[in-house]
Order: sequence, then structure tokens, then C-alpha cells
Amino acid sequence: MRVLLRTLAPLLGLALAAVGVLLVIEVVAAWVRPGSTTGIVVPWQAWQATLRDTTWSDRPVLVVSVCVGVIGLLLLLVALLARRHDVPLTSPTPAMTVSTSPRVLARLVGRTVRASDDVAAATVSASARRVVVRAEGWPEDEGSLKETVRARTDALIDDLPLARRPSVAVTTRSRKEPR
Amino acid sequence: MTTVDMPKGVVRRSRRAVARSAGGDRTRLALLGLVLLLAGTGAALLGWGVFGRGRAGRPLLDPMIVDALRAQPLLWRWVAIAAGVLLLIVGLWWAVRSLRPERRPDLLLESDAETRLLVTAGAAADAVAERAAGLPGVSRTRGRMVGKPGSPALRLTVWLDDEADVAEICRRLDAEIVTEARDALGIAHLPVAVRLELDTAKSTPRVA
Repeated sequence: MRVLLRTLAPLLGLALAAVGVLLVIEVVAAWVRPGSTTGIVVPWQAWQATLRDTTWSDRPVLVVSVCVGVIGLLLLLVALLARRHDVPLTSPTPAMTVSTSPRVLARLVGRTVRASDDVAAATVSASARRVVVRAEGWPEDEGSLKETVRARTDALIDDLPLARRPSVAVTTRSRKEPR
Repeated sequence: MTTVDMPKGVVRRSRRAVARSAGGDRTRLALLGLVLLLAGTGAALLGWGVFGRGRAGRPLLDPMIVDALRAQPLLWRWVAIAAGVLLLIVGLWWAVRSLRPERRPDLLLESDAETRLLVTAGAAADAVAERAAGLPGVSRTRGRMVGKPGSPALRLTVWLDDEADVAEICRRLDAEIVTEARDALGIAHLPVAVRLELDTAKSTPRVA
């Protein structure tokens, strides 16, 4: 989302600037050329005639209004969702800020979980608040796989100097086929 | 050094050094999105007759508005030109700020009428990063000075290997590496933002 923000921001800035330039050009041109039947860049007199004959309840106006609203909503969502999702870690001094990414935390948990002999595969998603582990394996008895995965995940999270301990959710699935 | 005698600005600078701020872009984009959302919603509600059937049936370019504009043509021309210039300035300012590369301030150690002792941003950041790369559990590092020329901070990205002890690395980074750098440069405070990454695991064959 931050890549989208970085791409959109200069483009929208340039678009605003272009609208400003067009506005100045057309107003000055209309001022110095009274009686002209068309604009220099924008056919605003044709637009004027169309706008005079179109009412607010006409279908094209409604469609354009909804499109503008949806674009606005999308821009608002990009702006709100483009925040950083860092995982803060405790630092030895206030002059030092230590952080990592959710991806790194997920990789650490995944590597720890997969190191267990009972686990055949594991998928991990992580954030600063929550770690979700989905594991598959060959447990000796029902429930032992879940306990193993949870114990390993808890031990790793206890070892890491995380500023806030995330909650851990584990789901497991037993494989029927032989190892 | 305790938190009590640590200037507030140092703590703030270390937090800001974590990554390039996108706050300005996010605020401007949110404002633009909000304006478009309100305009689109308002126009749609108007068209659907929420504000009255009579209003919904009026033309977009309302004769009342045209008459008002024609009553004061000189005033509205100047208003339109001012709006265009304002849009041009705001748009260019936004684009330039978004595309401008992040500042890399040099460290000015001494400055008087005759001498000026300066450590370039690259030299200072590389020296700290190189020392940090020697810590056990660290496979590689990248350093970068960020912030304003008068109040720089160090952004240090540290790639860890499998056996890394994260807490110990953070402790040694502060106690050894950053303290050494501060002493060597003769500066009282150097805010640091450490970004931890996990190095790509080397693929080992499952069967020997």
C-alpha cells in the first residue's frame, strides 16, 4: 500500500498543477480574446452548453457522481492503510528504537515450528498483536501437534524482546498419509 | 545514561529515523479523497432528489450562478486565476516533496571562523554499520544518516542469521557500537533506529 501511496502522491500533485495551469490559461485567454468561440486547450464553451442542458438527475451525472465518490473512498482507504506495520522491540536505551517487520516475525515463527519432527508444513501470518500458525503433521495422538506447535511458538516469542507480546492462535491438521 | 537526562528530542529523533515518513503524503491524499468522496456523495444525493425534486431537476450550470458570475466578471476572473495559481503551487509543491530524496546530513563536529570539521554522512554511517556487521549473529548491515543537518540520526538495518540472539545484539549495538561511535565523533547523543531483518536462509540438501 505504501508503494501505491508513493506512486499516487507525485502523480496527483502533478495532476493538480496541470488543472491549475489549464484554469489560468483558459481564464486569461477568455479575458484577452472576448467573443472567441472556443478555448485554447479546453473546449469549455461546448462544455458550458452541455452543462446548461444537463440536470442533476440525469443518468450520466449520477454515474459520474458515484464514480467520483468511489475514487475518493479509494484514495481515503489508501491513505489510511498505508501506515507502517512494524513490530516494535524493546530497546536497551530510549535513544535507540528497535523494530522489525511482521514478515520477519512470521519467518522466525515458521522456521521454529517447522523444525519440529511432528510438523510437515506450516503457514504463519504475524502482526505486532497477533500470530496465527496453521500447521500440518503426523502427531502421535490427537492434540499433541497443537501443543507442540503452541509450546514452540510461545517459547520463541518469550525469547524475542518484543515490546508487546502478541496473542498466539494455532490450528492444526493431522495428515493421514504415511511420512 | 538514564531516561531522565536524555533530551526529549533524541528519543523523538530515534523514532522518526525508523523509516522515511509518509505522513505528509497520507494527509494530503486523505484530504483529496475526502473532498472527492463528499463531492461525489453530495452530487449523487442531489441527483436522487434527497434535497428536493426541484433541485434535482435544475441544470448543472444553474442560470442563477451564471447570472451571479456575470454580475461581477472582473472579480470572478481574478478569483479563478488565483485558484489556478494556488492549485499549480500546491500541486508542484506536493509532487516535489514526494519525489525529493531523503536527506543524508553530514555530521558537523567543529565549526569556527577558520576551521570546519565535518564527517560525511556516508563515512559515519558506513563506519558504524561495518562495526555492527562484526557482531555474532549478524550477517550484514546497512547504515544511513537521516534527519536534519543540525539533528542527525542513524538508521541501521541489521540482517540476522539463524543463531542470532536478538536481545544481546541490541544490547551490544548500544553498549559498544553506538557508544564507540559517539565517543569517536565527540557527540553527546546519536539517536539510532535499528531495523532487524532475517537473512535469506541458505538452502541445504535434505539428503547428503
